[in-house]
Amino acid sequence: MATNPVIDVDRLGATYGTFQAVQDLSFQVERGELYALLGTNGAGKTSTLEVVEGHRTATTGSVRVLGAAPTDRRAVRPRTGTMLQESGFAPELTVAETVRLIGRLSGREDSAERVLGLVGLTRKAETRVAQLSGGEKRRLDFATAVYGRPELLFLDEPTTGLDIRSRDALWETVEQLRADGTTIVLTTHYLEEAQQHADRVGLMHGGTLQREGTVAELTRSLPASIRFSLPPGAATPPRQAVPLEDRSWAIETFELQRDLKQLLDWAAASKVELDGLSAAPTRLDDVFRAVGTDPAVPAPR
Amino acid sequence: MLPIAKSELVQVLRDRAVLITSLLMPLAASAFFIGFRDVFAGIGSLGYVAAVLVFTIAAFSLYVTTVTTLAGRRQSLFLKRLRSTAAGDAAILTGLVLPVTVIALVQVAVIVTTFAVVGGTPADVLLFVVAAVATFAMMLALGIGTAGVTTSPEHAQVTTLPLSLGTIAVASWVGITGTQDLAELKRIMPGGAATELMVGAWNGGLALGDALLLLVPTAAWVVVAITIAAKMFRWEPRR
Repeated sequence: MATNPVIDVDRLGATYGTFQAVQDLSFQVERGELYALLGTNGAGKTSTLEVVEGHRTATTGSVRVLGAAPTDRRAVRPRTGTMLQESGFAPELTVAETVRLIGRLSGREDSAERVLGLVGLTRKAETRVAQLSGGEKRRLDFATAVYGRPELLFLDEPTTGLDIRSRDALWETVEQLRADGTTIVLTTHYLEEAQQHADRVGLMHGGTLQREGTVAELTRSLPASIRFSLPPGAATPPRQAVPLEDRSWAIETFELQRDLKQLLDWAAASKVELDGLSAAPTRLDDVFRAVGTDPAVPAPR
Repeated sequence: MLPIAKSELVQVLRDRAVLITSLLMPLAASAFFIGFRDVFAGIGSLGYVAAVLVFTIAAFSLYVTTVTTLAGRRQSLFLKRLRSTAAGDAAILTGLVLPVTVIALVQVAVIVTTFAVVGGTPADVLLFVVAAVATFAMMLALGIGTAGVTTSPEHAQVTTLPLSLGTIAVASWVGITGTQDLAELKRIMPGGAATELMVGAWNGGLALGDALLLLVPTAAWVVVAITIAAKMFRWEPRR
């Protein structure tokens, strides 16, 4: 358990009418950490994030952000930057006017020119927001979030709609912020981004936290896989291989290196060519799928 | 609050639809009433014309524009964006409605002054101003409340009709027929007592005691409208 967490969520419950979106959810985010909150559609992560961001109050449980209630805007907001899932800008304002307005209201000091330079929108500074593309609006959103180098940054689907260069540039900036000690909470549907950048991951399903840990800890719970095909008439492969269809075989293993070597040794000894050989470590996607299809996990009510 | 008000003013000035609704339409209507003031004074009185001018500006420049603006800002999630900053709810709301309110107040001041120049000055300027300000406060609060049940700027064209036309109708009813009959009913309707105050203040002959009595329902409607606004206003679109 963290001693002085930046975010402390304790037995959170969020209800809309009779619909329980989140129940009994607890997690903590430590200073300087990038915590990815992931989940299936309707898992409750948006509801959770809205409570943590202070846009909604908890039905039950408690949430502390930077030691204060998240709804205490004067205490929390000057120290937090928020990139919302949807942009929410005034279409008639220019890009520079938007950054100055939101930046000034954030209570932090910075220059619009600097943050627009960070996201590659300097040349669009005098363009009205209504004339921006979807990707440019996301970059503007990111610019307002990082204005004044906040201690805590919420990134809600930050790269949706961004091309690969913009995506790389955004992550480069995020990594710089992390190096400066910024704490980051990320939600995304791009699991490879979470796998690559997150220190810890929380996986939500059915309104509760189903798994939590580092990527290594989460992937360790599921086997890696080896796939290959055998030519007609080939000898039977090692006993841990399971036949699939059309002469294909699979090995699910927690000892990838050992079993792969054993397979290659067998192929060499048997003079067998392994067609389409692939060996893949367990990825976050596999953990995500396992959580999403686990019959023991309750569906949202 | 001031940065929000400044950005809102910029947006109003750049949005032709809002400019037409909040500036041109009320100005055209006011020019019509002032141009035909003798006809309307014959139906009611000069005080009636003055009251209708105030209600026309309050209904279209202030009320309709407030509803349209707030519904649009909520629909585009701009309100949510502002609430993700350190600004408080009161500062956000005040900043959003301040430019519209100031524009409407300037309009009514110019139009009523013009009417006074061509039609004669009111008997009690202070009382007229008090009644006009109370009317503006009521319409502003009703606008914030109506925005709570308005999903988009387009929807505002429907949701604002009952109150915008209704208050002008009440002002006309009270201004033309007076309060000899159905006095209590007319005075408890939104804008009814305020109209009687404005007519009396303009034409003269309203005793101080009567004026103070008429201020009670006028102020009560301001309180009711603020209560409605506090209960009905929403910051985010319904899910």
